[in-house]
Amino acid sequence: MNGMDIRFDGLSVHYADGTCALGGISFAVPPGQFCVILGHSGAGKSTLLRTVNGLVPASGGGVVLGGKAVLPATLPALRRRIGMIHQHFGLVPRATVATNVVSGAAPAMPLWRALSGIYTAEHRAKACDLLAAVGLEEAHLQRRAEHLSGGQQQRVGIARAFMLDPAIILADEPVASLDPRISREVLELLREQARARGTTVLCSLHQLDLARAFADRIIALKNGSVVFDGPPALLDARDVAEIYAERRLAAVS
Amino acid sequence: MDRPWRLPHPYGWRGIAIAIGALLLIFYTGQRVEMGRMLALTGQALLAQVGLAERSQVADGLGSAIGRLVPLQISDRQEIGRIEHFDAGRLPLFAHLEVVETREDRLDPMTSKMASHTVRTSYLVRPLGYVQHVALKMLETLEIALWGTLIAILIGLPLAMLSAPATMPLAPVRIAARAIVSFFRAIPELISALFLVIAYGFGPIAGVLALGIYAAGFLGKFYAEDMENVDPRPQEALVAIGAGRLATWRFAILPQVMPQYIGYTLYILDRNVRMATVIGLVGAGGIGQELKGRYDMYEYGHVGTILIAIFLVVLLLDQGNARLRRFFL
Repeated sequence: MNGMDIRFDGLSVHYADGTCALGGISFAVPPGQFCVILGHSGAGKSTLLRTVNGLVPASGGGVVLGGKAVLPATLPALRRRIGMIHQHFGLVPRATVATNVVSGAAPAMPLWRALSGIYTAEHRAKACDLLAAVGLEEAHLQRRAEHLSGGQQQRVGIARAFMLDPAIILADEPVASLDPRISREVLELLREQARARGTTVLCSLHQLDLARAFADRIIALKNGSVVFDGPPALLDARDVAEIYAERRLAAVS
Repeated sequence: MDRPWRLPHPYGWRGIAIAIGALLLIFYTGQRVEMGRMLALTGQALLAQVGLAERSQVADGLGSAIGRLVPLQISDRQEIGRIEHFDAGRLPLFAHLEVVETREDRLDPMTSKMASHTVRTSYLVRPLGYVQHVALKMLETLEIALWGTLIAILIGLPLAMLSAPATMPLAPVRIAARAIVSFFRAIPELISALFLVIAYGFGPIAGVLALGIYAAGFLGKFYAEDMENVDPRPQEALVAIGAGRLATWRFAILPQVMPQYIGYTLYILDRNVRMATVIGLVGAGGIGQELKGRYDMYEYGHVGTILIAIFLVVLLLDQGNARLRRFFL
């Protein structure tokens, strides 16, 4: 088990334009949990995820990972232990699948190896293993990422995120640009890989059915506050109405 | 809501004012650079060709200039007395000896009378000698262009990385790097070559440096601009896991800009070959230096051979460049 626990202590984020993205959020995610952050767009899901690896600084309160607070001083060391999966995959379209995956080990390789492209046997073997694990073929290794389908690209994204055996995976709407069947496959894969390593996963989703199907625990956000926290089984119709209320109103008007 | 929609006319007062201003500028500057006379002379030259005008100064000038280029100089003739270690038994390929007899009147010291002598001078004639010489000079030109391009990449790429926010966080350094890049781009090759020839002497060194400096300014600007316009999401993916700036550049930026970089670099290579022929005129090596020398000696046959060589190389260059582009992009 190499998972790390995440604790949000009264975390609030205000953007420079004055909008309040998160207002005083507190909860803890134990190591190895697959925790889904649910909410409609603009609820603060992305912002919450990004405070974990410091892409968005906290305005008040803070985040503690495995007993270490996320601060500018601790950030470089912490970031190496946090993998991230992105909504638009974050792959380099023209680079090969292999290079995209190996780039996930960039913080752990000396600069000359990164620049020359002469990676250690260990990193190359790891990239191959991970690509096999996410269901790609050997023929995909040298293919450009842009020539893969969306589902395959996100598989590459998952392989990249696991390159350094992270303690935490942040998945920011990993299936938002995929169709429903592929979405299930990709989430299944992510959960399976995380379980095998005991990795803590914080995954934001906006689809209720996917959240119900894959989460160990659902945390629902609305307007920057937690409106539901518990296992999927406890999420009832009233909670759902609450979570999606504003969106329906907006659709009517 | 009751008022009907109105689509305004595309030309407002401002547009008309700008158009009038532009027209005035064209007329005024056109007069200053004698565009009227240019049209008259060119028209006269064209009319002369079809027999509608008596004489044309322009056509005559062009005609005599081109006429003097032929016959083209193909062979090469050298007095063997001036060749070091000449061995008549081992002549170069296709070469032959030519003996020229000339009569010379000389004062005989014994008789104190003018006497006529026959002087035999041997020449080594190589039938394609001058073509060979031009080919070698052309090769030197291509080498100057290649090295000018290499130096431009070696200087331009680091400068571009120092002037792009993605790779250089310190604003003062970026501003300084940009200033250097602008400075390099502000010096035309011909002018820097003029001074570099004084510093490094006649020959290819001045040429390589002159081409390299200007092209470094060009590449530095365009390399940096492309880095700023790439998709930021792959960069964020690497920053998120704690990768350093250079590693992020290598993995997330370089693959995205590579096609444009190759395009700019091929353009610079093409431009450098053309410029390398020109900067030879101020003594910076290559075919241009040969051209200038022959032109100043009124050896227009040689000049004709050189011009045809330049023309052929530029044609081949266009073909080669198109092929390289297809290969890389």
